[in-house]
Amino acid sequence: MISKEIDRVGLAVALISAMYPLVQQVGASRIVKGVRIPHPCGDPSLPPELDLRLRREIVETALKALQSEVKGPSLFLPNMAVAA
Amino acid sequence: MLTIVHIVNQFFAGVGGEEKAGSPVVVVEGAAGAARGLQAQLGDRGKVVATIYYGDNYFHEHVEEAKGVIVREVEKRRPDVVVAGPAFNSGRYGLASVEICQAVSEGLGIGCVVGMDSENPAVPTYREYHNLKVFLLPTAETAVGMPEALSSMARFACRVGSGAEIKSAGEEGYLPRGIRRVEKADRPGVKRAIDMLLNRMKGRPFTTEIPVETWDQVRIAAPLADLTKATIAVISTSGVVPWGNPDGFKIFRNTYWRKYSVADLKRMEPGRWEAIHGGYNVSFMNENPHYGVPLDVLRVLEAEGAIGRLYPAYYVVPGNQGSPSVMKRIGQEIAADLRKEGVGGVLLVAT
Repeated sequence: MISKEIDRVGLAVALISAMYPLVQQVGASRIVKGVRIPHPCGDPSLPPELDLRLRREIVETALKALQSEVKGPSLFLPNMAVAA
Repeated sequence: MLTIVHIVNQFFAGVGGEEKAGSPVVVVEGAAGAARGLQAQLGDRGKVVATIYYGDNYFHEHVEEAKGVIVREVEKRRPDVVVAGPAFNSGRYGLASVEICQAVSEGLGIGCVVGMDSENPAVPTYREYHNLKVFLLPTAETAVGMPEALSSMARFACRVGSGAEIKSAGEEGYLPRGIRRVEKADRPGVKRAIDMLLNRMKGRPFTTEIPVETWDQVRIAAPLADLTKATIAVISTSGVVPWGNPDGFKIFRNTYWRKYSVADLKRMEPGRWEAIHGGYNVSFMNENPHYGVPLDVLRVLEAEGAIGRLYPAYYVVPGNQGSPSVMKRIGQEIAADLRKEGVGGVLLVAT
């Protein structure tokens, strides 16, 4: 809901969420898959260093999404392997 | 007697709250949790042969897998009708219920009855499916309306399960699905149209035969041309606020937003921030607020020159159970503020 209003004024917005099917349905535009609902930007089960690397990957994916031309709801997948 | 499978989330199965939201799909023979209430309403008209429940988070993190297991478990029992919810105003539960009904009716051809508040964010999804075999009954916003919801769902489930002819949404009380049905009228179209026109001109009430669906289409914003010169802002619906919750956010149904300065901060120290949100387990967020506001990596990217500048505050509204109309207004207000502040691109973190 919020992301649509941001798009409406012409500002690019990347939505990071683990509930990506819902936000796709609601009509968000640039969608980045988050890790899990209680912690979209990272994974507390990882050691802090890998958690940070994963968060950076998620944020960089979101920034990439902001620079991408999209026609409809589009899912961008962070490379989870950075934390492997 | 009709046979029914009732599908609910872990909370309404009586298993537990957020701490159990990761539960996989579990089948209980007979009626458990909310299904006992449904069974009571059914009386001897029908029997709940199984209750299937799933964790609110688990479902959305394993959608295909969860739907697959549920369809297989329903198939084994071959019920006359499937009931899902009532989900009231819960977004996760509402969407899971709609997705499950869609999967069950498509896969097995079984009719489904689902209940939720008509403002639940899953309602547009239900409409989009245009599924002839799924009926969404409106309920109250909260579980206070449980007895009424189960009563109307039980009654409707008996009709769907017995193969009774279900009339239009207007006559039956389920929410419209945007399906046009062929019906026989007693008078030709030209007469009905002229009557409608005359009524309208005289200011008398009339009912259109072809309601136009209003569709909120938004033009997607153009991509950012140069990230290295842009100001980037963060909006978070995680409910991360300064410790002590200075603006008194509630854990659900908030009606305002705030922004909090991070101007001189390189990171968000645990203990100086807390998450106010009733829709998920906030313990991870409290231990590391970066899961909701990734300030640490944004500062690094700013220092490396990958982004022009990080806007010196983040925007927050705890998103739990916000009604779509309120969230739309909050979105408009935040969007206007972002424009005014010269922000170029936005990261929105949603829990």
